[in-house]
Parts: sequence; structure tokens; C-alpha cells
Amino acid sequence: MTDPENERQFRELLSEVPEEISRRPPSSLKARLFSALVREQQQSGPLASLDDTVAAGYGICVFEKLVQISPVGEKAKSPFFCQVCHARVLAEAFENPPVYWAHCPYVAFKES
Amino acid sequence: MEALAHFPAGGESAENREAQLVSAVLRKDRKATAEFVSLCSDWIYPFVRYRLLPRMDMVEDLMQEILISAWKNLPNFRGDAALRAWVLGIARHKVEDYYRKRIRQAELEDEETDAREPTVVSHIQERLEAGADHERVHRTLTHLSEVYGLALIWRYRDEKSLREMAQLTGKTEKAVERLLARARESFRKRWNDDRP
Repeated sequence: MTDPENERQFRELLSEVPEEISRRPPSSLKARLFSALVREQQQSGPLASLDDTVAAGYGICVFEKLVQISPVGEKAKSPFFCQVCHARVLAEAFENPPVYWAHCPYVAFKES
Repeated sequence: MEALAHFPAGGESAENREAQLVSAVLRKDRKATAEFVSLCSDWIYPFVRYRLLPRMDMVEDLMQEILISAWKNLPNFRGDAALRAWVLGIARHKVEDYYRKRIRQAELEDEETDAREPTVVSHIQERLEAGADHERVHRTLTHLSEVYGLALIWRYRDEKSLREMAQLTGKTEKAVERLLARARESFRKRWNDDRP
């Protein structure tokens, strides 16, 4: 049978955890989770186009802006452009990566 | 997170802001999705870490599973509860699912054996009196078999009762009790081997 003293000891021993446990997640983890979730979203069809994103009031980064103003169809504005951006690669691999431009989600993770 | 900045600031309720965010994520808006990931990660990371420490290798996989599950179930989010509570509910379910699968895989002996164990192990008690040594606790847990580590964390850190553990793993309470007795014994042995 379980001894109450044993129970008490193990509860005390295991219930305490270091304070750092409550820290926020590393930005590189957020970056990898974001990329994974967007890949999952793409499996059920294209992402919202950049025009829709702008219409909803969100900012887009300088590279996305170039795509948005290009004379191409809506479909060409839907891929996950971050997939080929070095900001994603850096942000997934490093904390505090050297990426700074506005409206980049990977920069926002670093600052969150 | 900067993406939130476009929402009107004055007088808008948190519920409305969440509803707008959820709606944008469902439209597969990439910026809203980034904001969603950032918010949810802040909520679930401490929750998952607390329940898995020191097995950090599983934290990222589990967080990914939780976020993808949240995304797939987002059409069912009706805003009755706050988004945070809803996401943490999914996280709790996923963590329990993880414990359950791992512990179910363990061979639990059901024969009637005497599961009595030493009442007090002086070295553990000494350490408790001197204040918890987190590093040593985590080191000891790391060296246990995964099933023993998870069983101890589930019981003593997540405060699951024997009955709940038995129901969730499909085992008898006695079998769970014996698993815990073996886990504690293994912990004590490792703890004493690790004595400075």
C-alpha cells in the first residue's frame, strides 16, 4: 500500500520547479511553430492573398509588398513567401536573429 | 505583437479582438496566424514545460500538435470561454494523451505482490529539509525510464489521483499503484547514486 509519508515526500520533491519554467518560449520555437502551422494550413488550400491581408489591416513586409504590387493574378499572391526567405531560416535557427524590417512575423517573434 | 496594432484600440473588448483574430486565422491570413501562434505559444509553453520537465525533447512536438489541433478545431470555437482557456483545454488534453499512451505501453504486472516500500528514505528527506535541489531532481528524473518519469510527474506534479490515472490508462488502480511504487524505488536508487 502507498505510504502517506512517501506520498508527501514525492509531492514536495516534484511539485517545485525552477522559476525559469514560467519564461516565455524562445523566439526560434515560435518561428518553427508558425512555419509548421502555415504548412498545415496550406494542405487544405491556398492562404489568403496578400491583398486580403492588407485589406484586413495588417502590414506586409517589403518583399511581400513587391509581390503585392506586381501585375500578377490573385493566385500568385497566395503562396507562403516566407518559405524562401532567409529571415525564416535565421529565425528558426537562432535567438535574436539579424532580421529587422517591418511587418515580418519572424521579427515580431523576436520582439514579443 | 505588432500585428495587433491595426485593431481599433479604444473601447474594443477582448472578446471582439479575439473574435476578429479567430476569423482572420480561419481565412488563413498569414499575419493573423503569426499573431495566433505567438499568443498561444506564450500560453501553452509554461503549461507543457511544467508537465514534461525534464523531458524537453518532447515539448516542441507536443506544442506543434496542440497548435495544429487548435487550428483544426477553431471553427468550433464559439467564444463562450476566452481563447486562452480554450487553447489550454486542448493543451491539457494533449498532454494527458501523451502520458496515457506512454504509460499504456508499459508492461504493468497485475499479479498480487506486496507493493510496500521503505517509508522514509533519509537522503531524500535530508534534501527536502535543506530545500529542494531542482537540478538534482531533474537529473534524477532524466535518468529514469521514460514511463517511470512520466508516472511520477503525472501523479505528483500534475496531481492526478490513482483512480484518474487508472481510468486514463485503462489499468487497475492496483497496477498503477505498483507502477508508482517501482518508479519511486527507481527514483530513490538514482537519487542516492547521484549523492555528492
